[in-house]
Amino acid sequence: MIAESLKDIRIVDLSMGWAGPLACRQLADMGADVIKVESCVRFDWWRSWEATPAWIEDDGAEKSSAFNMVNRNKRAITLDLEDPAGRELLLRLVASAHAVVENFSGAVLPKLNLSYDVFKQVNDKIILVSMPAFGSTGPWANFRAYGSTVEQSSGLPHLNGSAEDLPTMHHVAYGDAVGGLNGAAALLVALRHQARTGLGQFVDVSQVEGLFPLASHGIMEFSANQRHPVRAGNRRDNVNPHGVYPCVGDDAWIVIQIYNDAQWQALRGMAAPYLDEFADRFGQPEALDRSIAEWTKQQTAQALMYALQARHVPAVVTNKASELLTDAHLDEGGYWQWMDRAVVGNQPNPSPPFRVNAQRIKIGKPAPTLGQHNHEILVGELGISQQQYELLIERGIIGQRPRMPGS
Amino acid sequence: MALQGGQSDKTMQRALDGILVVDLAGSVATTYCSKLFVDYGATVVNLEPEVGFPTRQLAPFIDEASTESAMHGYLNANKKSVRRDLISDDAIAALLSEANLVLGDGTDIGLFDSRLRMDISWYDDCGPYADFIGSDAQCFALNGMLRNIGHADGPPLIPTGYQAQIVGGMTAFVGAMGQVLAQELNADGAGLHMRTSIFEAMMCFTEVGAITAYNTGLEGERLGINRFPPTYPLGVFPCADGWIGLTVLTPGQWHSFCELLDLAEFSQIELFQSAVGRLESVDLLEPLICEKLLGFSAEDLFYRAQNVGVPLARVPTMEELFAVDQFVHRDAFAGIDFGTGADLLAPTIPFRLFATPPILGGVVAPLGADSKAFL
Repeated sequence: MIAESLKDIRIVDLSMGWAGPLACRQLADMGADVIKVESCVRFDWWRSWEATPAWIEDDGAEKSSAFNMVNRNKRAITLDLEDPAGRELLLRLVASAHAVVENFSGAVLPKLNLSYDVFKQVNDKIILVSMPAFGSTGPWANFRAYGSTVEQSSGLPHLNGSAEDLPTMHHVAYGDAVGGLNGAAALLVALRHQARTGLGQFVDVSQVEGLFPLASHGIMEFSANQRHPVRAGNRRDNVNPHGVYPCVGDDAWIVIQIYNDAQWQALRGMAAPYLDEFADRFGQPEALDRSIAEWTKQQTAQALMYALQARHVPAVVTNKASELLTDAHLDEGGYWQWMDRAVVGNQPNPSPPFRVNAQRIKIGKPAPTLGQHNHEILVGELGISQQQYELLIERGIIGQRPRMPGS
Repeated sequence: MALQGGQSDKTMQRALDGILVVDLAGSVATTYCSKLFVDYGATVVNLEPEVGFPTRQLAPFIDEASTESAMHGYLNANKKSVRRDLISDDAIAALLSEANLVLGDGTDIGLFDSRLRMDISWYDDCGPYADFIGSDAQCFALNGMLRNIGHADGPPLIPTGYQAQIVGGMTAFVGAMGQVLAQELNADGAGLHMRTSIFEAMMCFTEVGAITAYNTGLEGERLGINRFPPTYPLGVFPCADGWIGLTVLTPGQWHSFCELLDLAEFSQIELFQSAVGRLESVDLLEPLICEKLLGFSAEDLFYRAQNVGVPLARVPTMEELFAVDQFVHRDAFAGIDFGTGADLLAPTIPFRLFATPPILGGVVAPLGADSKAFL
């Protein structure tokens, strides 16, 4: 069972937001025991970055779709790491783990008197994966960033859009998901080395450098020819027509890309008589685009996609976010796995993007609630007494509801 | 642009020493997946057809007159190239059975006789899109990203390059590396056949948007170039001497940003304390911010902002990337030797294991250069 294939690996997940938790989710999906550590005051900011008493009262911390999506298959505890007792319990947990993952800005761990060397003192085989935006070395190591900052810093916006527009970003947080994949990759490579040699190490993931491969076509163009790639909107050298064309409905579009003459003739035949005057697909690109649009405006995008692809013409619809839940391909492939989760009820969960021996990988459990496994892990596995456990609750070092700072 | 190639000690122990990967497909996705293996010391054999892998035909090329692909070099440095037509079926079978991982694109399934096979295709082999002719642009369209890029009143803008395939390769690496590790940990040599689709790999960007839309009814909209909810200012803007990336989210960041730009009169306005309030006021704020930014050096503003905790970014052009001090310090680019006198800078792997560092840069094998060893 691939969903249990890493079941003997334990990972302490100190990360927050998208990238770090997504990295850990990849291993949790393969059965690793991922223990998420938050505090009741400094909880994962993907639950909310604007907590209020009313939000706490309304169980807002358990309602974030984003948080719940990247933290499935994990267990969760709370520990106030600014309290010596909380820090001590974290180190006991680290002593039992293979790896720790964190994506704080550079100054946070030192403030808590935590570091790779401190973790190594309690576990000489430990791996620490650190995922700061710019990497943990160099003059920018402590600089702050969001996923948008990561995309901006990679230079990627200079490769997209039209020359008459500003350098064009892809997404509000393009760096995060890529950072999550690179974090998981880095952790797996380090775990393999640890399994062979018994040695841990510090692992550094630069989220900005994680986007360089996605910009590699532009980087290699400049590297080879000292030429800035031309930002040509939806036009591409040697591929024409190449564009996004309107269809029937509100903001409904179809992407059509013609790579060869056979595809061109198939498109021309289907769109007759709109394209009859264009013997050459490269000669009048603007006029050709207008004529294609005149034709597609009368078509529904879904029907046109299937009709074009049936004639081997590359074309697809542009899905809206809500349409992803009903996309025929994802639906038929069982991509969305529905599961009950406390507070929010039955929710769709995206499958791990693999099939193994033709089977989907089953998601074992939904995201934990805040501190859901406090007793199970602190008493049941780290061996503190019931009395100590209750004292930790009384002192606010652990808990199962968020608190406002100073409360 | 030249730099010394081969910057790493070839005798150093690597984290993936002893792992053998065979690539049958030669797509951007499979070669990026195996690049992550080879950069940490695995042996990767490209089993190429007589005409070479498809990556050998990809733009850009190493110079204007060349047919040697710079992209192929970036993706395939330090791998072995074996021509399939020059070695026997028995030799191929032996190679595949010895491999820890065989990479394919969904074809050549008859060659599956290995501990682990990973196929990376556009849409996998089942479902209504299985026979579609795929592309990077299609994956951006189907995953829901495309419709949010571009002008509100114009068509969505298609991202350039091979980005979806790179994400597919990364995703495949995570799945395959997990199983290589599991097989070693559990001393398990059982055959597994994994498949991933580039479309599903690209869902990593939009799965949260889909579930949020399901729970809230809120749908992403195309608001304009670099206009993404939930905040403003966010985007790329011209300064006096280059480009600056803005992301201002919290009230504290807004106050600091206003002080930096000498816009103190906006700092305390109630409406602008929230990210949403500023986004709704974009028509008022944008001309003022743009005008102010033109009076600053991008680099100077970047350092001043970061020093007060505002996450501004320099937005380097492709030319400037190679000279950014942070990236130079970290060896983010290293030389690829094409064996033709051309050494080109290319990105190095974005994660670093300190005790077992990756190989930076390297040499590109000509087609079939290693065939003799497998005869």
